[in-house]
Amino acid sequence: MSDFQELIGSFPKTREYVRDFFVYGFKTRNDFKDKSPRTYDNERRRLESWLAPYVRKDYAADGSNLSLAIDSSLLDTNPLFQVWKTKSFTDNDIVLHFLILDLLRDGRKMTAEEITDGLLAGYEVLFDIQLVRRKCNTYVKEGLLQKEKNGKTVVFFLDDAPAVWLGSNEAVLDALAFYQMAGIFGIIGNELLEQFDSGNRSFRVKHSFFVHTLEEEILLELLNAMNQKSAVQLEIKSSKQGNAGTAHCIPLQIFISTRSGRRFLCGYVRRSRRFTCFRLDSVKRVTLMEKAEEYDELSEKLNRNREKLWGVSFQNGGKHFLDKLSMTLQVLEPSENYILTRLEQEGRGGTVTRTAPNTYLYEVEVFDCNELLPWIRTFTGRILALECSDQSVVRQFYRDLQSMYRIYGIEQE
Amino acid sequence: MELFSEIYSCYYQVMRHLLSNQNAVSMQDIRAQISAEGFEESLLSIIPKLESGAWNLFDRDGGLYLSKLSFPLITPLSNLEKSYLKALLSDSRIGLFLAPEQLETLQGMLSDVTPLWRQEQFYYYDRFAGGDPYADETYRSNFRILLQAQKKRQYVDIDYNAPNGNRVHHHYVPARLEYSVKNDKFRLLALKNTGSGRMRLELLNIARIRSVQPMEKTLSSSIDLNALIQSSYYKEPLKLQIVNKRNALERAMLHFANYEKNTSRIDEDTYECLIYYNQNMETELLIEVMSFGPMLTVLGSDRFLTLLKARLRRQASIL
Repeated sequence: MSDFQELIGSFPKTREYVRDFFVYGFKTRNDFKDKSPRTYDNERRRLESWLAPYVRKDYAADGSNLSLAIDSSLLDTNPLFQVWKTKSFTDNDIVLHFLILDLLRDGRKMTAEEITDGLLAGYEVLFDIQLVRRKCNTYVKEGLLQKEKNGKTVVFFLDDAPAVWLGSNEAVLDALAFYQMAGIFGIIGNELLEQFDSGNRSFRVKHSFFVHTLEEEILLELLNAMNQKSAVQLEIKSSKQGNAGTAHCIPLQIFISTRSGRRFLCGYVRRSRRFTCFRLDSVKRVTLMEKAEEYDELSEKLNRNREKLWGVSFQNGGKHFLDKLSMTLQVLEPSENYILTRLEQEGRGGTVTRTAPNTYLYEVEVFDCNELLPWIRTFTGRILALECSDQSVVRQFYRDLQSMYRIYGIEQE
Repeated sequence: MELFSEIYSCYYQVMRHLLSNQNAVSMQDIRAQISAEGFEESLLSIIPKLESGAWNLFDRDGGLYLSKLSFPLITPLSNLEKSYLKALLSDSRIGLFLAPEQLETLQGMLSDVTPLWRQEQFYYYDRFAGGDPYADETYRSNFRILLQAQKKRQYVDIDYNAPNGNRVHHHYVPARLEYSVKNDKFRLLALKNTGSGRMRLELLNIARIRSVQPMEKTLSSSIDLNALIQSSYYKEPLKLQIVNKRNALERAMLHFANYEKNTSRIDEDTYECLIYYNQNMETELLIEVMSFGPMLTVLGSDRFLTLLKARLRRQASIL
């Protein structure tokens, strides 16, 4: 226990533990068979420390069951942001951070030598000049400091005017309170709010998947590649099979499901000459590769293809035509007209035709009709007929329906 | 630009607050602040660093600690933060918060900054069509009045077009503004006096609000919103059995991640999941459960089973 550290140096390993606890929420010690007991104990202790108010312990037959009780409708922030605030550092890092920012706060410009002298004179702290220069250069890279060169002299300074303006602007703080919950990279909005000693007491968010924050580092690297119009090499570990592999693709767009909680990278794979979607939570590492000359052309092509995409599958068994699906629904007029609103809002470009009183036909053409099945099932109770150019879709639907009749003891007439 | 960096860490935040004290503080005060703001075990790491002087940021006077730094402590924006803010400027909802002149000021400050992302780099493929009209001036004005009233716990007079076509006129206290990523809509969680001194929670679509007027009256007592929501849950949760075939477990756990739930393993491949919900969530939850087909089995509650079976019976009768 003596070597236990609350902070960590690297994010990826911890990300997996948090995901396992958060997404599955029933992990016991025995579920981590491929990890040493000490590793498990330390990871678990860290999670309990970071996320203490949300950790729930139940006792199961095979050991205590640790889970995170996170009900997004009851929370003003994402508890998993805490995981991003756990980076370890050295004593010099933290001391230099505060002293340098304090020394330069009045806007003066100083060389690394002058800063080093200033630290000794003003704060009675002696630092090696190389260390100070290195920290200043790191902070220039991060944007906390700025650098100017006058001949051979390099001076460092800071500009806190934007931070002062933002921190004193109520409208900005309101916006950050909202976007930290509802937007992409909410963790940055949350950190800004903390920096301005503010928080969220006004907004709640539905259909926001807190676990997405764990993928933001991967997302940052993918956006960087997309902005540079470059290819990437992905290291992928499938959560389904657990097997690892690599893929080379040109990253084009991030696809997000607001229902299933999945996010994907949509990229073009030159080898197969296809658009392919990779789940973000299966991407373990991104390596920036060569520039993709055809980037803009592929983006346009994807935009055109997207019109015929239901979800994320561009596959249609190698066929050169689109699958067509039609579903006839019983909608009792006018009391069930909200179903028509659903078709309009959720139908993704499909057409709706009234074919008879209380009867409506929904039709759509897409690459892969298998992806429609979960949505079609949500109309159970109203489906008068289902037809599809891919017969396996229809067969699967009826098979599943029969299974449900059996499970719930529904008699068929 | 590092997302996982110590400059955003919890310890740096705790230290910033400790160093912002203009007066000398005792170790007891320091401990209390670390306990309140740090992680559960942060005391064990931070206190020895302060006592030993390894984090030489305080002048010591007997048992008291006086910050060496000037007040207030302001951390400049990092490139990552600037880039994030620049990206927000292109979001359609930003105009709900910032007035045109504020947007212009921020745009000017970030003129040489590259946005962290562009809207077109993201595609929400199953988001509902017909999101709220964020550019509409009436909508924006209503939104701002509600937000201000929420912060002041102020009553508002709302004229509302209910989904059933009725026009409703009532006094409410805005409790929260709730955004749905799936619907791309805001709803108002509004408190309404029931007349017996108690408050009831109602949900209003902000786009359906015809007009809203702030009133002089404010809510004097504080309301525990979460207690109000939790007390609205049905006593008996939805009980699902998940047999882990076709990746059902992982799908279900992610799909229902929004709900308060508790999952346990029954045997090698079978899991049981309890989901807590209320009447407002019922239809949406039923639809979500039906989307899984036979991959999930509903074991209870009786109420939920009745609803599900009714849908199946109707299906059996028409097909």
